[in-house]
Amino acid sequence: MTIVTGHPGAPGKIRAARPGILRQMWMSRADYLYVLPAIVVMLIVIAYPIYYTIDLSFFKTPPGLQLRDKIFIGIDNYTAILTSEVFWRVTLNTVIWTLASTVIAFVLGYGAALALHRDFIGRGVLRAILIIPWVISAVAASYIWKWIYHSDFGIIGAVLVQLGIVDRPPNFIDSVSTVLPSLIVVNIWREFPFAMIMLMAGLQTVPEQLLRAAKVDGASAWQRFWHVTFPYLSGVSTVTILLLAVANFNSFIIPWIMTGGGPSNASHIWITHIYELAFGRQRWGVAAAYSVLLFVILMTLGYFYVRALSGNEKKEGTS
Amino acid sequence: MTSVSDNPAPRGRKQVDAWRWGGRIFLVFMIAYTALPMIWMLLTSIKSGFAAMSFPPQWWPSEPTLASYQKLLDPQNSVGQDFLRFFGNSLFVSVCTTILAVVVAVPAAYAFSRFNFPGRRFLFFSVLLRNMFPAVIFLVPLFILMRVLGLVNTHGSLILTYLTFGLPLAIWLLKGFYDNIPIQLEQAARIDGATRFQAFLMIVTPLSVPGIIATAIYSFIGAWNEYIYAATFLTKNEQLTLPVGIQRFFSENTTDFPGLMAASFMMSVPVVVLFLLLQRYFVRALTEGAVKH
Repeated sequence: MTIVTGHPGAPGKIRAARPGILRQMWMSRADYLYVLPAIVVMLIVIAYPIYYTIDLSFFKTPPGLQLRDKIFIGIDNYTAILTSEVFWRVTLNTVIWTLASTVIAFVLGYGAALALHRDFIGRGVLRAILIIPWVISAVAASYIWKWIYHSDFGIIGAVLVQLGIVDRPPNFIDSVSTVLPSLIVVNIWREFPFAMIMLMAGLQTVPEQLLRAAKVDGASAWQRFWHVTFPYLSGVSTVTILLLAVANFNSFIIPWIMTGGGPSNASHIWITHIYELAFGRQRWGVAAAYSVLLFVILMTLGYFYVRALSGNEKKEGTS
Repeated sequence: MTSVSDNPAPRGRKQVDAWRWGGRIFLVFMIAYTALPMIWMLLTSIKSGFAAMSFPPQWWPSEPTLASYQKLLDPQNSVGQDFLRFFGNSLFVSVCTTILAVVVAVPAAYAFSRFNFPGRRFLFFSVLLRNMFPAVIFLVPLFILMRVLGLVNTHGSLILTYLTFGLPLAIWLLKGFYDNIPIQLEQAARIDGATRFQAFLMIVTPLSVPGIIATAIYSFIGAWNEYIYAATFLTKNEQLTLPVGIQRFFSENTTDFPGLMAASFMMSVPVVVLFLLLQRYFVRALTEGAVKH
């Protein structure tokens, strides 16, 4: 650090205008102490795994975690993935799962937030009930719904039979055609409260005068929503949708516990598939290559995520 | 929509009613969607195994029994011993994670909010990016890392890992909170002779208690419900946390549905109670932190 401060040859003019980066860092050295613990933990648990995964994706690995005798095979793992049929099946599942869960959870959460915005008796109780699915463990949720969908004693099947809609209880999660939608229903059950909380918080920031002014000008309820509330909440909405999309893309527990990806891969999404490749079939190299592909997709999403968040930050700065 | 201006009063009134009724019907639907599965869980948990598996189903248990709960909570029999041990493990891991997350996130969020050091934005967003990555990606390398650190089969491995996925949102929430606390408060304290750290500890931290509570709830719930890492890092039965332990209890083709539902219920109680008690802080933290304009 003394190099910077003690460098006589450095043109003083420029230094005065814009001190060197090292000097800046040195001057704010105490600031780093505050973030240091967070950064250290993050480096251990993020940077190392990312490096390791990329490295491993170019190797053929023997089963078991004795990875010393891995063999370098270049991009073979990647070509193997991209040419396999399962990959495209799983990718399609992931797209359906992520899109459907995100959109429906967001719409339901938005609706619930709007419906709960007006003050009425019992509002707090209703809000609490609606939030509970988001709080309870996904493992518990999976077991509850597995029981509800049970092919012999499930309650939905029983209701359908008693109403005379079907002759015998349908196999919700044991049949290729219904398994993915059935799991999406469970996922939305767990996720819409998050959208609801975010938007409820957002709704409190919409200025009351604006809505009243619109009402005085003769705007209908829909017009007030569409022209005042909705644009006002666009920032929150973007962040919420992105967070939901990332969470859904990364889902694991619900499909894993409820079906394990079956029947015949119909409910495998990327994460469950990677998990099965790595820990079920011990194909570490292929799983690592999958993970790297996943990185690329997530970094693309992450670009928008950061942009949406920094958009918020800019707004904070100007207000 | 132009017709509104022709005849504003009656039509506007009618529309408001339609909207209000639409909202009510929607709410009823959402409450049913949310609550019925949980009610069914509770009703099943107080049935006997035989009653649970009758067709057509008994909507209301004819002979309600708490046998499933007794079995899970009885320290005398082996099921109860395991369940209580898993419960204790979950509690230990979650409490440690929560305390550490607060201790680490509070200064970091404060620094991101107040100080202007090079790389601030970069570090802030790299912290946030952690949220982007699924647990599975980190599983193999972390497992090897934990083996190197000698943490496999210890609760330390879980606490360290949970810490990192609680941190990003915690830091983000708290930063929003600190942004809202006027900097003049610290300046006044500094003039009165406090150091920068004292001003942070004595002035700003007490004001951010709601944000800290929200952070703590978030970390606790995340740790309590985590499944993948616990399933991978722990192999010894006596160390398992509840989500994994329950899976070991009830094999793939179990028929003890009342027991499974009772266990699911017991597992949900701590987080639900905690959240319901403290939810207003959570919503407030979101309002003041994340959702500001």
